[in-house]
Amino acid sequence: MQEHLKELEGFLTSLSQISRLSFEIHDEQGLVVSASAPCTRKPDPSEIRDLSAEILRRGNNQRAFSCRQGALFGAPIWIGERVVGSLIAYDADPPGETKSSSEAEEGGRRVAQMESFLDQMARLLEEKCALQREIEEITDELSRSFEDLNLYARIAAQIRALRFSEAMLRNLMQEVLASMDADLAFAVLPQKTVRPVMVVRPGIADRVEDWDSFSEALLRSIPEKAPSLEENYFIVNHSQKTAVFRDLHPDPYRFLLVRVMYNQESYGWLGVVSFRFEEIFRQSELRVLTSMAEQLAAVIANTNLYRDLERFMINMVRSLVCAIEAKDVYTRGHSERVHGYCKRMADRLGLDEAQQESLLWASLLHDIGKIGIPERILNKPGKLTEKEFQRIKDHPKKGFVILKPLEPLSESMPSILHHHERYDGGGYPDGLKGEEIPLAARIIAVADTFDAMTSTRAYRSAKSVQEAVAIMDQVSGSQLDPRLVDVFKEIIMKEKDVPSPCQDPTVERVG
Amino acid sequence: MENRRRILVVDDEGPIRRVIEMKLKNRGYDVLTATNGLDGLEIIHTEKPDVVITDIMMPKMDGKSLCEQTNSLKQQRPFLTIVMTCRISPEERSWIARMKNTVLMEKPFSPSKLLEEVEAYFRR
Repeated sequence: MQEHLKELEGFLTSLSQISRLSFEIHDEQGLVVSASAPCTRKPDPSEIRDLSAEILRRGNNQRAFSCRQGALFGAPIWIGERVVGSLIAYDADPPGETKSSSEAEEGGRRVAQMESFLDQMARLLEEKCALQREIEEITDELSRSFEDLNLYARIAAQIRALRFSEAMLRNLMQEVLASMDADLAFAVLPQKTVRPVMVVRPGIADRVEDWDSFSEALLRSIPEKAPSLEENYFIVNHSQKTAVFRDLHPDPYRFLLVRVMYNQESYGWLGVVSFRFEEIFRQSELRVLTSMAEQLAAVIANTNLYRDLERFMINMVRSLVCAIEAKDVYTRGHSERVHGYCKRMADRLGLDEAQQESLLWASLLHDIGKIGIPERILNKPGKLTEKEFQRIKDHPKKGFVILKPLEPLSESMPSILHHHERYDGGGYPDGLKGEEIPLAARIIAVADTFDAMTSTRAYRSAKSVQEAVAIMDQVSGSQLDPRLVDVFKEIIMKEKDVPSPCQDPTVERVG
Repeated sequence: MENRRRILVVDDEGPIRRVIEMKLKNRGYDVLTATNGLDGLEIIHTEKPDVVITDIMMPKMDGKSLCEQTNSLKQQRPFLTIVMTCRISPEERSWIARMKNTVLMEKPFSPSKLLEEVEAYFRR
């Protein structure tokens, strides 16, 4: 029976010492607790076994007579509708043979008292068992709540990353699979460009089956109307009970689907499937999955908003750049091309996402300061006067001032300001030198120099790629960062498929 | 029965203690409990548990002091310490890294993962 009844052993032993009664508790398997007063004779164990069996079978008080021990008394211990054990008591010092009628009467009264006492004891035991069971159930429920809480915390941590990605979705589904001990967990978000994500329990992964088609079929088979769909979920606890779902897989399964929805807009479904029936889907699991779907939908909506905003901003910037370039007929498309070169250099240099982003914005916007320069200076075919050149040299600073109020561009500002610095310190506006110049500004300088040479300008015609590269070699280390010139050359030679002037580039560099 | 693995759970929060105790008892471990570091320390000395699971923030003596004061015992008699904390900060990681045979587990904890950690230790 319950192991915790053993805890009663001490109590029953004390009781037996003061009352001179011996107690035993039995269950279907036999003796659980025995508490006897010291120096007692014991009845034959088989006598007690028989008595206990009789109590367990009949579920009421029983009496037996042992020739060694005298009367044995027993009462059933109930848990709910079931007799789980018997409480048996007998005299530690059995009286001798009953002789007189008064002794017989005394014996009768004793029996009545004994039975009433035993009943009360049995009720106490029952209460203890019931309480213990209740505590165990509550503890079990608490333990599940802890699991849920742990899952919530991990999901929240994932979602804090805020940007929606396939990797994030896969992680989430892994968590769901593990915490719900399911066989499949999937996310199908047709509104998004991401492919459906499917994770499979290792034990089931070697079954060669097309789980993607299975999950699609499941989603297609959701009925048009179901009460639970009003609350954005759909649950089937046994596939064999519905023809539609029985036909989707030969093995019986159960599944839970939750709609990913935010502000009346549906993005898709999260689903969990299990082929095992030891457990059912619990209310708390539904809650976890629902709350996850809600958070996921919010993240998707936010990401969409963010992307829209980003797209809007980049288009604004492009329009702005077009507006400046319209003033200068020779530089049309220059910023876009510089942007393109910078992107390839960023990839080659392995810049992280944040560095790339600030570089790319800066590359598009580096000449924005030219907005304040009159067209007659920008398009002047001849040599510029000192004063005119000064106006041109002001453009990085002007760009800086124009864009400064735009908080999202703050990371790009230093490279816009410094894209005309020279590696040897002879540039403008601040005469920064070498590594003092921000990396992004040095990259832009390389791309800007190359594009300026290979496109037609007011004062000269375009040079060929080879000519431009040769000139860049000459200014590598003085005007431009030599390491970046090398990287740029690698890229441009490969892309333009230009035969290298020398078979061995190291020799060329030495030369 | 004498070889039963002994695990001490030190936490001032009853429900957490209870859940861990039940999970471990169901797997056949002997479980001892304490509600603060000071009582925990005494039990470690007298009962010599194989695993100690402890909270950090507790009255009388916190989990950090408990770890520090029992770390030298591990030279003679190795045992695993699992520290449970609400927030894993770099400072926390660094003092735990200095302790022998000590792992960190984030709260809200998962009872099943805790059990896995304990069983993995005994399999080693």
